[in-house]
Amino acid sequence: MKPDPRATILSRRRFLTLSGQGALLAGGLALSAGAWLPRWALAEPDLASRLLRMGRDIYPHEAIADRYYLEPLQPLLEEQREMIDAGLAALDRRARATHGRDYVAIEDERERVALLREIEDGEFFQSVRNTLVVGLYDNPELWEPHFGYEGSSWEKGGYLNRGFNDLVIDWL
Amino acid sequence: MSGKFSHDDDSVVVIVGSGAGGGTLAHALAKRGINSVVLEAGKRYRMEDIENDEWEMFKKISWLDERITAGPRQLTETFPNLPAWIVKGVGGSTIHWAGVALRFQPHEFRLHSEAGDIAGANLLDWPISYEELEPYYVQAERHMGVTGESTGMPYHQWNNNFKVLAEGAKRVGYQKLRAGPMAINTQAYDDRPQCMQAGFCMQGCRFGAKWSTMYTDIPRAEASGHCEVRPNAMALQIEHDANGRATGVVYADGEGNLQRQKARVVCVAGNSIESPRLLLNSHSSLFPDGLANSSGQVGRNYMTHATACVFGVMPKPVHMHRGTTFAGIISDEARLDRSRGFVGGYTLEVMSLGVPFFAKFMDPSNGGWGRDITSALDKYDHLSGVWICGEDLPMEDNGITLHDTRKDQYGLPVPIVYKGDHPNDEVLRRHGQAQATKCYEAVGAERTFLVPDFPTSHNVGTNRMSARAADGVVNKWGQTHDIDNLFVSDGSQFTTSGAENPTLTIVALALRQAEHIAERMQRREL
Repeated sequence: MKPDPRATILSRRRFLTLSGQGALLAGGLALSAGAWLPRWALAEPDLASRLLRMGRDIYPHEAIADRYYLEPLQPLLEEQREMIDAGLAALDRRARATHGRDYVAIEDERERVALLREIEDGEFFQSVRNTLVVGLYDNPELWEPHFGYEGSSWEKGGYLNRGFNDLVIDWL
Repeated sequence: MSGKFSHDDDSVVVIVGSGAGGGTLAHALAKRGINSVVLEAGKRYRMEDIENDEWEMFKKISWLDERITAGPRQLTETFPNLPAWIVKGVGGSTIHWAGVALRFQPHEFRLHSEAGDIAGANLLDWPISYEELEPYYVQAERHMGVTGESTGMPYHQWNNNFKVLAEGAKRVGYQKLRAGPMAINTQAYDDRPQCMQAGFCMQGCRFGAKWSTMYTDIPRAEASGHCEVRPNAMALQIEHDANGRATGVVYADGEGNLQRQKARVVCVAGNSIESPRLLLNSHSSLFPDGLANSSGQVGRNYMTHATACVFGVMPKPVHMHRGTTFAGIISDEARLDRSRGFVGGYTLEVMSLGVPFFAKFMDPSNGGWGRDITSALDKYDHLSGVWICGEDLPMEDNGITLHDTRKDQYGLPVPIVYKGDHPNDEVLRRHGQAQATKCYEAVGAERTFLVPDFPTSHNVGTNRMSARAADGVVNKWGQTHDIDNLFVSDGSQFTTSGAENPTLTIVALALRQAEHIAERMQRREL
C-alpha cells in the first residue's frame, strides 16, 4: 500500500510540530519520522508512541519498521478507542506507581515486559495482542523479506520444481 | 445434470452432510442407481475460490457458527468458541483435510479386548474387525487415489520438512518412515492432476490433486442424475412416524425458510458435533432423549486424538512451507505396547504451518508473547514441525450437549463441546512430545519447543458403533440400533479413535454402508 505523499507531508508537518513531545519519550521510543506512518499515528504521535512501544514489547522484531505495528491497530482504535485510552492510562498509572514514570519512559525492556505481564489477562492487552498477531504476521509485505515465508505458490506452479526437496542436511 | 427431487418424494435417501461420509455415500449410492438428496449446511465453492492464504481460507470455509468449548483443557480458554476446525461447505472437511490416508491397525478395532477395562475410560471394541473392513480400505484407497499398493502410485518424494524429521528419527532408531500413504496424487489419477507441492493442503487444494468430495464424489453423483445436492440447507430435525421410523428431514434453506424433505432412509453425516446435535435436537414425545438414544450414548465418547506439536529450529533454512502440509509419517510408536506407560499408540506426522498460523498457534495462551515467541518466528524458515496423532480414550462425559438458552441463527440450541483428557492421553502426549523432541535434537536442532493442540479437525465417536444396543448408537453397518432406516455415516460412528487420521476409515465405512443400504433396499427391508 503506497501512502498518499501529499497527505503524508501535511501530516508529517503536523507531526514535527508535535515532535518535541516525541523527543521527551526518548527513554521509550521515538516514532521514526522518515518512515511511512499511518495517518492516525501522525495525527496522534503520543498515542502512536505508546502503542508502538507496547506492540514492540509484545512482538519484538527490531528489523520490522514501525508502520507494520501501527497500521493494523487502526480498526481497533476506531472501534474501541475508549478501551484503548483507558488501558493505556491504567498501564501508565501502574508504571508510575512502581517506577515513577510512564510506561514508555521506562528504559529497561525487562521492567516494561514485567508490567505487561501483570495486565496480560486483561481485555486491553489481549485486544492489542490479538490485533497484532494477525496484523503483523498476516502481512505479505513482511513474509519473504523478514521471515523467509513465500506465501501463495499455486500461481507459480507450487514448489515441485522450485525447491520443495532441495535441502541437503550438511550440518551434522 | 442435477436430479430434482420433490420435497414429497419419499423414495429418496436423505443424506445430511457432503464430506468424507456423506459425499462418498451419495456417490456410491448413485452408482447403484439409488436416488439421494444431500442437505449441506454450507455453500458451494469453486476451484477459483481456493486461495493459498491461511486466514482468508479460514474465514471463507470454516464452520464458524457459535459453539462453546468446554472442559478442563487449554482450548476452553484459547478458543472458547472454536472447539473444532472443520468446514462448512459442499465437500465438508475433505476440503481442509491434509490427505494422510492411514488404515487403522487390526488391534485398534479391539482395543478393549487387548487392554482390558481402564478406569475412567468407556472403552469398547468395534463390532467389526480389521479383516471385515480391509476390502473396503482397498476400495477406498482406489477411490480416493491413495499413494501405495492399492493404486500403484508411488509415495511422494520427501520434502525438506520430512527430510529433517526423518534424519532425526533414524538417529533415534525409528524405522517406519514413509512419505505416505496420502490421498494426494503423485501422478495424474482419476481425472485429477499430480500434486504440484504447493503447500496449503489444509486451505483446499487449488489443483485438485488431493482427494476431496468437493470436486470428485459430489459433482459425479450429481452428474449421474441420481443425486441432488442442496447447499445452504441446514438440517434442523429428523422426523419420524408413530412407529418410530424416520420419515424425513426438516431444514432451513438459504432464505431461512423451513422445508421438509421426505425420505425412505436418512443418513446423518454432519461430523461429530453436528451429527449428535441433530439427533438430540430431533427429540419427540416418542423419543424424549433424542433419536436413536435409547443407550444414552448419543453425543458421548467424543474423541479428538491426543495431540500436540513439536517444532525444531534447525541450523539452516528448511522452508517447511514448501510441499504438502503433512508430508511424512513415522509409525514406530503406533503399536500397542503398554511398557511405555500408556494404552494405544501414536503416529508422528511431519507438518508445516505458514507464518500467519504459526504465529497464532505457537502459543495462543494469554502469556504467549514476547521474545520467546518472536525469536522462533524470526527463524521461521529454519523451522521443522511434527504433529502427534495419538489414541484418545473414550470417556462418557466427553461430548456434545445442548445449551439451555443460547440459540444459533437457526434457532437451535448452541452445542457445548466438552472434552477433558484421560490420564492415559496425558502420558501418551508427553511421550510423544519427548520422542519428537529427541528426533529434532538428534538432527541438530538449536532449539525445540512444544506447541499446544489447536482446534481439532479430528472429531470422532459421538454416535459410536457397538455390538449391543445398550453400549452405543449404531451397529456394524452404521444403522442406528433404535431406528431401522436411520444411519450414521461419518466419523461419529467410531468406537475408538485409533492412532490414525480418520478420513480413510470414514470413506471405507461409507462405501461399505452404501453397499449394505443398496442390498437392504433391494430386499425391500428398507
